[in-house]
Amino acid sequence: MAAVRSEQPAVVVQGVDMDFGTGAMAVKGASFALEPGRFLTILGPSGSGKTTLLRMIAGFQAPTRGEILIGGRPADAVAPHRRSIGMVFQKLALFPHMTVNANVAFPLKMRRHDPRTIPARVARYLDLVRLGGYGNRRIHELSGGQQQRVAIARALVFEPDLLLLDEPLAALDRKLREEMQLEFRRIQKELGVTTINVTHDQREALVVSDEIIVMDHGEIQQHTSPVDMYRSPANPFVASFIGVSSFLEGLSSPRGLMVNGVDCAGVAAGAILPGMPARGAIRAEQTRIGAAAEACDTVLEGRITDTIFEGERLMYFVDLPALGTGVRIYHHDPAEHAPFEKGATVSTGWNARDLLIFPAKDR
Amino acid sequence: MPETPADFRYPLRWRLMDGIEALADRIWPRRLAPWTGWLLITPALLLVGLLVLGLIQIADSSLRTLDTATFLPSEDWSLANFEKALASRVYLTVAWRSLLGAALTTFLTLALAFPYAYALVRTRRPWVRKALLITLFLPFFIGQVVRAYGWLIILGNSGMVNEALSLVGVAPMRLLFNYPAVIFGMVQYMLPFAVLLMVPALAAIPAETETAAGSLGANWLRTTWHVVLPMAKPGLIGAGLVVATLSLTDFAVPAMLGGGSQDFIANAIYDQFFRTADQGLGSALALMLVAAGSVLVGLVFLVFGAGTLSMGGRR
Repeated sequence: MAAVRSEQPAVVVQGVDMDFGTGAMAVKGASFALEPGRFLTILGPSGSGKTTLLRMIAGFQAPTRGEILIGGRPADAVAPHRRSIGMVFQKLALFPHMTVNANVAFPLKMRRHDPRTIPARVARYLDLVRLGGYGNRRIHELSGGQQQRVAIARALVFEPDLLLLDEPLAALDRKLREEMQLEFRRIQKELGVTTINVTHDQREALVVSDEIIVMDHGEIQQHTSPVDMYRSPANPFVASFIGVSSFLEGLSSPRGLMVNGVDCAGVAAGAILPGMPARGAIRAEQTRIGAAAEACDTVLEGRITDTIFEGERLMYFVDLPALGTGVRIYHHDPAEHAPFEKGATVSTGWNARDLLIFPAKDR
Repeated sequence: MPETPADFRYPLRWRLMDGIEALADRIWPRRLAPWTGWLLITPALLLVGLLVLGLIQIADSSLRTLDTATFLPSEDWSLANFEKALASRVYLTVAWRSLLGAALTTFLTLALAFPYAYALVRTRRPWVRKALLITLFLPFFIGQVVRAYGWLIILGNSGMVNEALSLVGVAPMRLLFNYPAVIFGMVQYMLPFAVLLMVPALAAIPAETETAAGSLGANWLRTTWHVVLPMAKPGLIGAGLVVATLSLTDFAVPAMLGGGSQDFIANAIYDQFFRTADQGLGSALALMLVAAGSVLVGLVFLVFGAGTLSMGGRR
């Protein structure tokens, strides 16, 4: 048995439902497995069931149906304070009446570690989160980012088998959030601790994770690597949630998608037969404009209805009269070009591999 | 000027406020605005001021001894009343009884009020919270004297408790007119105050903090000891202070449940003023009680800082 143990997944979620009895189920038929040492992010909009799923993995709530195994044992088999799970909470939940040292020493003290080893261990983990020398500060004397680091050190200092992150970065400003994302990634790689992160921030999911699960309406939509999630979304919901996509409604055709009588080049992204109602998704950064559009598989005439300056890039809203709809287009490095004027007529195009065609019944 | 649409109406509350503001502007013109704050606390200052005047009066009479021949206070001042009070065994016993009673009542009340307030704050079921609140407030509506009388009925020699004991063959016991009965009555009287003072402090502790303590390896007992109690400190101190001062100066419970044998300081003062009519001695006792209470409050502020009562922000 011992030999098998190291091979088994760190976390197994098997057919898990959560029904609070308030209408729709919070989580429906969730199943996945996570190998040891991996960094998984559960990504979804608010109300998608991602936090409920995390709370069940943490053992705070028992699933209505299904099973959750942590290291091969049911999650709720032991009392919460005996589990080997470190958790960083949404509001951090640091102890304001204790110093940084006491906060980080708390789990070691509670788990009855040898008192002589505790100070060195606390110092080592404060160094890991780059808070060496801050041990005697009070919590309210620290900045938001420093408090984040204390929460991470406190969740990791007892070397748990599993680290859970419940949207701890949601309240930070963008710059600090991006800094902490890299910190989470660095610390996780350094310790190799199996980690499950919950967020609604698609950028965070792409940056920190080895694998991503996208959830919507309580159901897992897709579970794959960040690159796959971006390149091959399983359905239009994932395509719209990761990155910025425009959607075209029409009928499937041998070449791609027939929209308003125009046959657009595209590739099928699901089981689809010609003539079926279909929905095409095209990313804003893969849609070309101006001279770059001329060589594309599909080239249409567009009219610019609005321009948004985002600093490193421009977003154009382009109306395509031939299709009776519009698309959004990212145009990078705007300093190089004079931007197109609002109302200008421009060539708009894309290559066949960039228009993903889904059956229309998919959300 | 743009025309106001016919169906445009301000909320009634706004129009009411406009009227009040117009009226206030007549009575207290806007240029006096910097003094509005002082105006608002003047009534309270007046009340406290009157109390100080009364205290000065009491201090004056505490220095005059009663002339047993004429039954009038003496013309000249002396510390005789204080000497008499401090030298008397009876008053020493009464003072000790009051202080111990206040300490016991405070300890027992906080010990009972904490779990009650915790349950009130943390319960997820609205009906449980309602039931706890109603049970807490019901005795408030009854009043202290009627409540104490209720205990006389329940704990009396032929009261409900002794009746019940006789059913299982236990001889009737004297449950009233002793020290435990007084403490019991006081704790029961103070419990709602303590719970109400603790609830805001406990509600201010995020439930997530306790969940975190659990996930870090603390069982409920250690979570309570290391996290909940320290974080609830302002509420505990506030409740303790109120209970201690109220029970130190209580009159009705020792009088009714003590049956004259368990007098507290307030009962002794009452006796001096209204029975023996020795105003001087009564005033001296009253001043010493005020001093004891002030020292207690002063010590708490000194040790924990006024900020612990959630006054003046953090720290």
